[in-house]
Amino acid sequence: MRGWLKALGFAAAVTLAACGPKAPEDSAPQAGGTLRIYNWSDYIDPALLAQFTKETGIKVTYDTFDSNEVLETKVLQGNTGYDLVVPSNHNVPRYITAGAIAPLDKSQLPGLDKLSSATMLHMAPFDPGAKYAVPYMQGTIGIGYNEDAVAKRLPGVKVDSWAVVFDPANLAKLKDCGVYFLDASEDMYAVALNYLGKDPNSKLAADYKAATALLMKARPYVRKFHSSEYIEALANGDICVAVGYSGDVLQARSRAAEAKNKVKIAYAVPKEGSQVWFDVFTIPRDAPNPTAAHRFMAFMLRPEIIAKASNFTEYANANAAATALVDEALRNDPNVYPTRELSDRLFVTTTKDQALLRDVNRQWTKVLTGR
Amino acid sequence: MSGRPQIGGARQTFAPWDDPAARPLVRFEGVSKGFDGAVAVDDVSLSIYEREFFALLGPSGCGKTTLMRLLAGFETPDAGRILLEGRDLGPEPPHRRPVHMMFQAYALFPHLSVAENIAFGLKRQGVARAEIAARIEEMLALVKLEGLGRRRPDQLSGGQRQRVALARALAPRPRILLLDEPMAALDKKLREETQFELMALQQTLGTTFMIVTHDQDEAMVVADRIAVMREGRIVQVGRPVEIYEAPADRYVAGFVGDVNLFEGRIAACEGPLIRLATDDGALDAEGAGVVGDAAWLAVRPEKVAVHTEPPADGRNRLAGTVLDYGYLGDWTTYLVETRPGRTIRAARANATRTLLRPLGCGDPVWLTFAPSSAVVLTK
Amino acid sequence: MRRGRVGLAAILPFLWLALFFAFPFLLVTKLSLSHTVLAIPPYAPQLDLSQGLAGLKVFLDGLDTTTYARLAQDRLYLDAYLSSLRIAAMAAVLLLLIGYPIAYGISRCPPGLRLALVMAVILPFWTSFLIRIYAWIAILKPAGILNAALAGLGLPPVDILNTETAVLLGLVYAYLPFMVLPLYAVLDRQDESLIEAAQDLGATPLAAFWRVTFPLSLPGAAAGALLCFIPMAGEFVIPDLLGGSETLMLGRVIWTEFFANRDWPAASAVAIVLLATLAVPILLFEREQGKVLS
Ligand SMILES: Nc1ncnc2c1ncn2[C@@H]1O[C@H](COP(=O)(O)OP(=O)(O)OP(=O)(O)O)[C@@H](O)[C@H]1O
Ligand SMILES: [Mg+2]
Repeated sequence: MRGWLKALGFAAAVTLAACGPKAPEDSAPQAGGTLRIYNWSDYIDPALLAQFTKETGIKVTYDTFDSNEVLETKVLQGNTGYDLVVPSNHNVPRYITAGAIAPLDKSQLPGLDKLSSATMLHMAPFDPGAKYAVPYMQGTIGIGYNEDAVAKRLPGVKVDSWAVVFDPANLAKLKDCGVYFLDASEDMYAVALNYLGKDPNSKLAADYKAATALLMKARPYVRKFHSSEYIEALANGDICVAVGYSGDVLQARSRAAEAKNKVKIAYAVPKEGSQVWFDVFTIPRDAPNPTAAHRFMAFMLRPEIIAKASNFTEYANANAAATALVDEALRNDPNVYPTRELSDRLFVTTTKDQALLRDVNRQWTKVLTGR
Repeated sequence: MSGRPQIGGARQTFAPWDDPAARPLVRFEGVSKGFDGAVAVDDVSLSIYEREFFALLGPSGCGKTTLMRLLAGFETPDAGRILLEGRDLGPEPPHRRPVHMMFQAYALFPHLSVAENIAFGLKRQGVARAEIAARIEEMLALVKLEGLGRRRPDQLSGGQRQRVALARALAPRPRILLLDEPMAALDKKLREETQFELMALQQTLGTTFMIVTHDQDEAMVVADRIAVMREGRIVQVGRPVEIYEAPADRYVAGFVGDVNLFEGRIAACEGPLIRLATDDGALDAEGAGVVGDAAWLAVRPEKVAVHTEPPADGRNRLAGTVLDYGYLGDWTTYLVETRPGRTIRAARANATRTLLRPLGCGDPVWLTFAPSSAVVLTK
Repeated sequence: MRRGRVGLAAILPFLWLALFFAFPFLLVTKLSLSHTVLAIPPYAPQLDLSQGLAGLKVFLDGLDTTTYARLAQDRLYLDAYLSSLRIAAMAAVLLLLIGYPIAYGISRCPPGLRLALVMAVILPFWTSFLIRIYAWIAILKPAGILNAALAGLGLPPVDILNTETAVLLGLVYAYLPFMVLPLYAVLDRQDESLIEAAQDLGATPLAAFWRVTFPLSLPGAAAGALLCFIPMAGEFVIPDLLGGSETLMLGRVIWTEFFANRDWPAASAVAIVLLATLAVPILLFEREQGKVLS
């Protein structure tokens, strides 16, 4: 779902850079009109879109992307023609600063009060006053692993600590069966800083140096840094450990179960804590039909609707009133709906300024390439 | 280059083909070759002798190149065998045959200089470096291309390229040199010059040459003997004078030079002379045949005399009017209509210089030829 | 009329170049001299023509070469260049070694078969490029088809996915037609009588190949090598999918600058330098192609 197919993203961006902004085909907001959504691929139940159109008479055009980077590159060029885009929480401040998204008209969003206060607290640093974004789905970063393969190599070790993937002693034993890390610098630095007991949102260069040193020690044991390949690789039994996104690991688990290949995949959010992220609905400043976008947000704020959405994506939503309506298996899975105790260990990452971002990415390149 | 008479003079006695004891350098024995069912070379038997300048003459597509490629080894005979000094060449691949070929389009190596082209065969023979250098100079001198050794083929004129091709094929001293239409790409004047140079070269080196041409004049000028080919077969082999003056059949007579043919039946044989009954009356000529057989009298235009007054003698005499004529400088040829639909060619040497036109279209003329100047052909 | 048409025909290639090369090139050059801002669009300065010449002056004053200075200071970029060129060069050599026998073999076949074989070389290109590269992942992965086959033969497994070896394999596979086709073009057009002339002069078939066929096919080899080399040096998808993290190539660096760092000027500067580095091979290529075509 959050598969980051960079290849496609790259191609898309190149096309974009070459062609410049595309004007929407019909931009006049008519009665009913059209709603243009730009969302992660495989991230909404198509039946819900049909239902929305049926209820409102608004046609939906639905395009998908595979990475925040592609989304941001496109939106920051302006003139996307989209009415609703779905960035992740830590990018929202950049959109706000750039003036790329418009404030919400809360009078058009009657269901806002149903959002869980815990989630809104997490969102506060990104969108103070909840002026710009409505949370859609949320997930965590953790360790996905092949239960049998890891048990064989680390007998008696419980996979409940980042040490499993950051301690070279453990990694050395896991190397032969395959370790994947995410190729996402901000996410990886956040969990590494957290593991080292530092502020995951640290602004201190020394902290990042320490994290780089940690990652550099781990890198010889890492088969590949990639943000989506691990789904397939875990499911097939090609690798045994991956630092990944909760929904993706759960997807790998389902695929392995479907394939009946005796591969048992598990997901753990380590006890040191981890990052929680949100994908949020926002409206580009130049949206042709913001009214329709508000109508859609209001629709998705209805508990019975967002519950169906969660059943499809297998991610938790932020709607407190909807939890009871979500499939039991999902709502009772602590990997999807974290327990209160787990929830307390989750943190969010904030936006870095350009200089720090560049520096962190440069260090990340060093981790990736070894130079 | 000195002219033909000297060379001819030196060769008056060169006729190994008449000597039953002489061993041929190359011998084709019943050689046949077909392509996809079509016969290109048909049961050819032929002997070529050491130091001979041998020409293959025939129209396009008659199998000349194929015959040559069989000798060079690029084609294998379907039947028959080819011997070099009595040795069967059958199992020898092209690169082991001491036979070199000058290709129809020269096939110079475009990436090599003139000198490197010439050295190519020598290097394959493992000739010492110093000797190669000497041989290149020698060859360049021989074909008069001194100083052009460093040029590339595309920096040469057509005539120069032809010489490089010649030098390249000659440098490794082949036992026999095959030349496939070596002068086809040259203009007339250059071609004539080159013909004489080629003869002198052959004389100097003593190499056996086999040349392919469809230009009868060229074959006549350069060759000791000519083989006339037709549809894969050898029709006649002989010295140029034999081919011209005593053609084996109507085909050879017509192919080599111009000829007037009179169709008829043999009415009488009187010693060497034959009387032929034709639609143009009774005509006499030399030859052999059986009374009653169909036969053709052949007489060459230059042997037909043109008179403006009726001649006295009645033998081989035809009256007519000038239909057309062509002034060629040295010769004037006349097209004379003797009866409706029947024209005869006559050629007259312009022995005196005159700007007056002695004869014109429509003028009445009388044609005569000596019986000894004409031949009777039964094929 | 006639003249007018000839004139248009002569101008068209220039229009094409101006539209699809010069204009984008200028845009990218301008971008590389800008700096990043958090705005729409994410770089400055912008050309504001409503202020006339003054606007142009402000715009030009805003451009600088600091991005290029940064590229020069960080060894990463130089390393990425060298590594890209090295990988592309190695792949080009492999392509030559593999593509030449294929092209030669095809050119020696009977004419009817030749066309079929050329089609066979091109045919894989009718399926999606991404799918073909993914197929290589399926082949090369540890529990993939290759290792299953090796196990079947009683051989030890190899682990080459996510290594430079896999990248080379992918490059060679993907670019093979671009090597084979120009080579085949020169070999097929080669005058058969040249080979016969060489053999006639005493060259064995092998010697005839090395002394005549091979040297005469070099322009085709050069054309093929450059045709492959230039895009391979900038290749992104193949190293990303088949390579490991340490497979450092420029395509990846540009991606990082553009997407991860949101640094359009840096991405543009890297691209400009890549173009400049490859301008020499491109010019060489043009010359070689002129030779091949003549
Ligand atoms: N490789 C081949 N395949 C098929 N047919 C061929 C081949 N080579 C020659 N032929 C045929 O054999 C016949 C003789 O060809 P050849 O080249 O020997 O003629 P030629 O006398 O040299 O003609 P030209 O004076 O035009 O060069 C022709 O009908 C030709 O089409
Ligand atoms: Mg011929």
